[in-house]
Amino acid sequence: QNLKCIMHNLHKMICTWDVSSKGRYGQTDFCYTTSHLPPPVCIKTREKRVEIPVSESSITVSITTNSIYGAAFGTKKFAIHKKDISFVPLTPHILSLTPDFSTSTLNLKWSDNGSVFPYGLDAFWQIEILRKETMEKVTQVTYHSKLTHENTILSWNWTSDMPLECTSHYAKIRCYINVTDFVGHKDWSDWSPVEKVLGKDTEPNGSGVFPQDTVVAVGSDVTICCVHAEDQQIKRMTYGPEIYPLIHLSSRSSAIRVINASASDTSGTNVVCTLSQDEMDGTVLFVGYAPDTPQNLSCETSNFLIIKCTWKPGRPSGLYGKRRTKYSLLERISGKNVSCEVNEMNRERVCGFPVLADQKTYSFTLGVSNPIGQTESSLLVDLTQRVHPKTPEKLTVSGNSSTNVHLHWYINGSFTEIRLLCQIEISSGHSEQKLHNVSMPGGKFSTYTAQLNALHPYTKYQFRVRCSAADHFWRWSDWSRVEEHTTLEA
Amino acid sequence: MAAAETPSAALRRRDLCSRGIRLAGKMRSDVADLLDVYVERQGLDASANVAALDGVPAAAAERWGEQTESQRLLDNLAAYRAFRALLTEMLEEQRDQAGPADTALREALAAVLLQVSAFAYHLEELLRLESRGPPGEEGARPPAGPRLGLGLFERKLRGLGVLRELAQWAVRSARDLRQLSKPGPGGTAAVPAGPAESQ
Repeated sequence: QNLKCIMHNLHKMICTWDVSSKGRYGQTDFCYTTSHLPPPVCIKTREKRVEIPVSESSITVSITTNSIYGAAFGTKKFAIHKKDISFVPLTPHILSLTPDFSTSTLNLKWSDNGSVFPYGLDAFWQIEILRKETMEKVTQVTYHSKLTHENTILSWNWTSDMPLECTSHYAKIRCYINVTDFVGHKDWSDWSPVEKVLGKDTEPNGSGVFPQDTVVAVGSDVTICCVHAEDQQIKRMTYGPEIYPLIHLSSRSSAIRVINASASDTSGTNVVCTLSQDEMDGTVLFVGYAPDTPQNLSCETSNFLIIKCTWKPGRPSGLYGKRRTKYSLLERISGKNVSCEVNEMNRERVCGFPVLADQKTYSFTLGVSNPIGQTESSLLVDLTQRVHPKTPEKLTVSGNSSTNVHLHWYINGSFTEIRLLCQIEISSGHSEQKLHNVSMPGGKFSTYTAQLNALHPYTKYQFRVRCSAADHFWRWSDWSRVEEHTTLEA
Repeated sequence: MAAAETPSAALRRRDLCSRGIRLAGKMRSDVADLLDVYVERQGLDASANVAALDGVPAAAAERWGEQTESQRLLDNLAAYRAFRALLTEMLEEQRDQAGPADTALREALAAVLLQVSAFAYHLEELLRLESRGPPGEEGARPPAGPRLGLGLFERKLRGLGVLRELAQWAVRSARDLRQLSKPGPGGTAAVPAGPAESQ
């Protein structure tokens, strides 16, 4: 009775049947024929199972069971139509289940066994993740792929909501293949054998609080577990000052669940697991923000040697030391990248980049990253349009005349690529302050001069000077120190 | 006690002892303040139970009363050399972990480190008055290597244990120096009551 035929692929099918239990029987003759195969094909078997080719048309089967002495017990005929046949893929096997403890991620790899199927069939894979000693189901997902008539290794990642060290994790998989124009019943395969990643709570000396010294974003929900020796109990687990309810994972592991974690102090938030005999174990959780996109990124040069970029960092990340936000400056045209040493104390951030020979335009990307996230800000500058000279130095005033003087000053920097515009402020006790503009070719670490005429005789003047780029004004330098000079009598 | 001392050596010794007692008293109160800042900044429970720590010299001494003077000085010197290394390590960790809000802790830690170094130098001076002189640094307790395997929480606890033990040593050192400054045959030593005594 109950003749059933199942296909695991599109070429062969496996037929099984039952035999009424009366009497002891020997071999069975399984004969089958299809409409275009007149002489029946017979198979002698001791099992109640045969594998025969799949046929396009329906099949007529006759099964004769014989006694152990070869005498026929009885024969039964069956007609197998396509709709009576079930299609059940072979049970898949997990090739590897690999943990990444640092990210609490499991990577699952398996073969899709696609070589026995035509190209392009849709395959669905149900993956179940289980946890704890009781193998509770944590999640079940359905993953879709296309078969390519080749055996392809598929890969899938799953990030656990708790550190993998906390307790053992298990995975199993089954598949469903959508054989198009197959009229019979299609079903899921059996579940694969379970693959497992053992937790620390299975290791003889495994103990600790996990995750160890990790960084999470403000607002995260975090599961923190305490793994201890068999003969110990957890008296309490605290997160910062608060005692949290314990979640039992196994006889050697319990966890707490922190919801919507708030920003931690600079030294992090302590998670303390107090065990019997007041032993303590713990970890530190750093809760901070991903870096903000830098605001007001601006780059200029004061000497055509170094380009100084500044920006506003935005919201502090709350992460310090090794976990602080780090900055790097990439110049895309030259491909040169510098990392920036940033002083967290001051609000404005500064980074220096060398002026490159024969390069006028710079395409900067300021990269910002910390353990929680990363961002960037870009800026394209023509350096000759971003000149902010240093303060003019060594201003001297000379002249042995009653109406004109010569001024000399020095500017630290190389300005040969531009013309300089300098502004001289002339003050004297009784007349109004005057500004005199003068432009000149930029020099290399040069002293510059200017002559002022039409001054009043025998008058005490105060002079100071500042400079900028003549053609593309960007910013004035600071004023030089004031220099006094009295013109001669007329 | 060394062979009969010259009056100037005895005077020098009493002076070193009394100054040492005052330094130990100051160190003890500064370490107590540092402990408060440390516990607060590290988010620890002040009553946390810290197991015995390797590499941290224990202040408790068996048969303290029977120790020779040299033994007292040598034990003290070895301890403060070890604390100098331990506090240096803690300071480096602080610089590596902490943010702007922890400047007060770093400064307090640096200040106590200076006092520990000064006290070690003081002990070396006392040992120089003895014929043998202080042992070389290499003879001292091996400097505490960086605790690479420890997690941050364990390091926080360890720091707490180091500071607690240092506070105990400051008390013991004052007692040791008072013991040293007790007169030998025929001498009296007027030694000011250091703050350490007022516990």
